[in-house]
Amino acid sequence: MPDDPAGQAEDSVLIICQEGRTPGELHRALRSDGFQVEVLAAGELSPGAVLNAAPDIVMASASLGLQRLGMLEEHFAQRDAGERMPNIIVFAEDDSTALVDCVVGGFDYISPPFLPDLLRSRMSSCGDRFRLQALVGKMAAEASLRDYEQQLSIAREIQLGFLPDVLPALEGWQIATVFRPAKEVAGDFYDVFELFSGQGLGLVVADVCDKGIGAALFMAIFRTLLRHTAEQAGAQPPWRAEARPRKSGEPGPTGSAGAGLLLAAVAGTNRYMVRNHLRQGYFATVFFGILDLSSGELVYINGGHNPPVLVPAAGGYQLLQPTGPAVGMLADSTFTLGQSRLSPGDALLIYTDGVTEARDEQGEMFGMNRLLAVAGQLGRTAEQLTGLMDQAVRGHTGYAEQADDITMLFMTRH
Amino acid sequence: MTFSADPEFSSITATIRLSGELDSGSAPQFEQVINDVASRDVSRLVLGMEELAYLSSAGLRCLVFAQQKMPAGVPIILTGLQPDVAETIRLTGFDRRVQIQGRADA
Repeated sequence: MPDDPAGQAEDSVLIICQEGRTPGELHRALRSDGFQVEVLAAGELSPGAVLNAAPDIVMASASLGLQRLGMLEEHFAQRDAGERMPNIIVFAEDDSTALVDCVVGGFDYISPPFLPDLLRSRMSSCGDRFRLQALVGKMAAEASLRDYEQQLSIAREIQLGFLPDVLPALEGWQIATVFRPAKEVAGDFYDVFELFSGQGLGLVVADVCDKGIGAALFMAIFRTLLRHTAEQAGAQPPWRAEARPRKSGEPGPTGSAGAGLLLAAVAGTNRYMVRNHLRQGYFATVFFGILDLSSGELVYINGGHNPPVLVPAAGGYQLLQPTGPAVGMLADSTFTLGQSRLSPGDALLIYTDGVTEARDEQGEMFGMNRLLAVAGQLGRTAEQLTGLMDQAVRGHTGYAEQADDITMLFMTRH
Repeated sequence: MTFSADPEFSSITATIRLSGELDSGSAPQFEQVINDVASRDVSRLVLGMEELAYLSSAGLRCLVFAQQKMPAGVPIILTGLQPDVAETIRLTGFDRRVQIQGRADA
């Protein structure tokens, strides 16, 4: 729609007139004002005929009636996503009742006599009104987008509050994390919290399937259920006294109490999700480990999560494979415990698939080999490893759009 | 890679051939096909995955959704899985809910 309200030479007008009538006077007046004019009889108003025309202005006979005018408006609004929406103006032929209906129905109008000077003035004000309406519509859309963005940014703030504010400072250990959502809000989360009066440490990295706002709402449920159950069960120091010497491979007090806590938290969360939310189809892959900070023993449940990588000081690596299915996916899931140990010089990486599946511009994934090449560097702190891994992932993806949430947690023992 | 999910029906079996990448972008398209299939009276659902190059967690969610939508007792058979797709299904434990076979025409 050109800015000149009176229309320019290239402005085109489609006149849709009543069957058997020719809008001679209107046609002549428009032509003399420099418009390109096409005339269509109402009876020819088949979808194909209108599809071909892309007028700047449509002048439709009021005799078409509100319903057909509405369809016409709908047609133009849908085409090109409304980019070239013409101004639809009705005109009276001889039926002033029909004109009144259309005007009450919200259409702008012109009425005879169609003399060039009168017409130009009327069209100018019709054009002004049309542009004003378009502007108001656009402002309303922008306001609602701003409102939506504001809501999303609130959601993001709230969600960031579900992550630990600060990671615990532990003697002999270092923890570092990276959390980069693909959208404003994420389905990934991590959690680190002390258990058993500081003798144990809970480590959680989880990925709620899908991403965006739906995943984020379920992230809040999973995180809360896991942490709440864990904190309830792990508030006290492990009660079991060391009455007898431990057999080799048998978990220590933290490990043993940790085992019960893990099963309660993970199986309990699974039961809750399946009972209340199965139909919604959100599940999470969850790695939940409990570390005995003095012995380095790690007991864990891996619920369908990408296997964390344990890198011993001596080199090589161990993958902590799933010990059960994703949480919240199946009604009759059983979870077993895995066990490992972090000795001085060892590193543990827990991550989500957003890391290994990060793609470069050609679509190639970061992959397990690149991940192991970084994680396998010995003698680094968690902070250094996290920095190196984040750099490697960013280097790999370049300018490609981040498709999935990226979360990683490194833990090193010194 | 463009995703496609083309259903075919025989007397008792619905076969959906998947190709491309099933992720959050293509998930709605697949869910629509599943809704269509679930509304028919079939007693077996075969998902031909020979051409499926990638399955994200959102894609896996679709498979879980498919399993919920199909009437109980209708087996879901996945055929011709590429290694990465098979690994995603195995890791999350969903392999216990479906039958996995080598080839779609086997």
